[in-house]
Amino acid sequence: MADIVVGISDLKCSRQLNDVIITYALGSCIAVVIYDPVAQVGGMLHFMLPDSTLDKTKAAASPGMFADTGVPLLFKSCYQLGAEKKRMIVKIAGGASVLNDADYFRIGQKNITAMRKLFWKNNVLINAEDTGKNCNRTVKLQLSDGKCFVRSSGGAVVEL
Amino acid sequence: MLEKILRSINKLPAFPATVQRVAELLRNEDYSVNEIVAVIKFDQAITANILKISNSAYFGVRQKIKTIHDAVVYLGQQHLIRAIQTASISKFFTKKGYGDKASELWEHSVAVALMSQILSRQLHQKENPVLYTAALLHDVGKLVLGEYVQDASKKIFELVNHHGYSFLEAEEEIVGINHADLGGRIAEYWNFPAEIRDAIALHHRPNFVDLEENVIPSLVFLADQFCLTMGIDGGMDGLAHRGFSEVTKKFQLRESDVEKNMLLLLDQLKQANELLRIVDK
Repeated sequence: MADIVVGISDLKCSRQLNDVIITYALGSCIAVVIYDPVAQVGGMLHFMLPDSTLDKTKAAASPGMFADTGVPLLFKSCYQLGAEKKRMIVKIAGGASVLNDADYFRIGQKNITAMRKLFWKNNVLINAEDTGKNCNRTVKLQLSDGKCFVRSSGGAVVEL
Repeated sequence: MLEKILRSINKLPAFPATVQRVAELLRNEDYSVNEIVAVIKFDQAITANILKISNSAYFGVRQKIKTIHDAVVYLGQQHLIRAIQTASISKFFTKKGYGDKASELWEHSVAVALMSQILSRQLHQKENPVLYTAALLHDVGKLVLGEYVQDASKKIFELVNHHGYSFLEAEEEIVGINHADLGGRIAEYWNFPAEIRDAIALHHRPNFVDLEENVIPSLVFLADQFCLTMGIDGGMDGLAHRGFSEVTKKFQLRESDVEKNMLLLLDQLKQANELLRIVDK
């Protein structure tokens, strides 16, 4: 079994059944996990911020940094491996915030909102999510069966 | 339990005197390179780490630094002190703190130190060595408190998840002291100046400090919040710490500044890879 690690601002796709795609340390960042059970193709994105207009140069160099550039690329990369949009199962995790951060460090919440809007506009249903709160998360996708697991800081591993 | 925890401070090794001795020597305008080299070389435990760190892209030296002599000549006063400090402090990161391994807490500490300098340059147009040290040491209390908190984690999370406690408040309730206060005591035991001790002790409670008088605790707090938000949190406490929007307001940080600083930190962490790798357990 091979572990493919997705770093911050990165995305990875695979159709190797023995692969496991994993990302660590999601704070306010969000992991978008997609899987086509028929083609058995899956992918994961670990984006950091909602909107690429913040820094266009950086967005061009690493599209996975932002929701609006990373999510389309994730889907396209999976299509190239044979996945189809209508069969895609979508799961998301992350978007945490520090306690009572009404004003400033609300990037987690902004990330969640940006991503929901993006899926809504593109007619994609989110099948499961574990977002918000104030824990750090690790997310894993098994290519063999499309199962997705989330481990929260201080918590057990839970299937999403 | 509290007495036992406080007693374990005195079991910590003394803080290496190298940093202070080098800083004193450097204060003299016409310091002799050989004299400084002699002081550093005497501390064999940190020499190898100083060499590794000195070659980090973060310090921007073009020549390959192979000896302590090279480091003294090429790094320049501020970066030399910073390299020695980082190497000395890293030696204490042998325990896993609140995480799964020691390198997690070290990575968090380096990230907070780098972010503290990003903020200092932005807000005060210069780097701040005292702030750097305080930031690098801010979670030092977790090294001692780690085993107690790991043992009591079930009770702590019960308070955090169901009773509105922050992780810090739950530490106080369950083990009798929080990691910030304990860190302040460790800094005192190591004879660090009061401003570093206070910055460590109050890095989750910047509301206890007068911002006009002492800006360092607030900047350590802010740098820490950045790293927690980015997921570089080094342990099970995750993001379960309180934010204080009045601090960000006082510094007049806008939301776009916050986001841009995160991108800056990512770049710097890549450049500072050597700093991160000196703790590998």
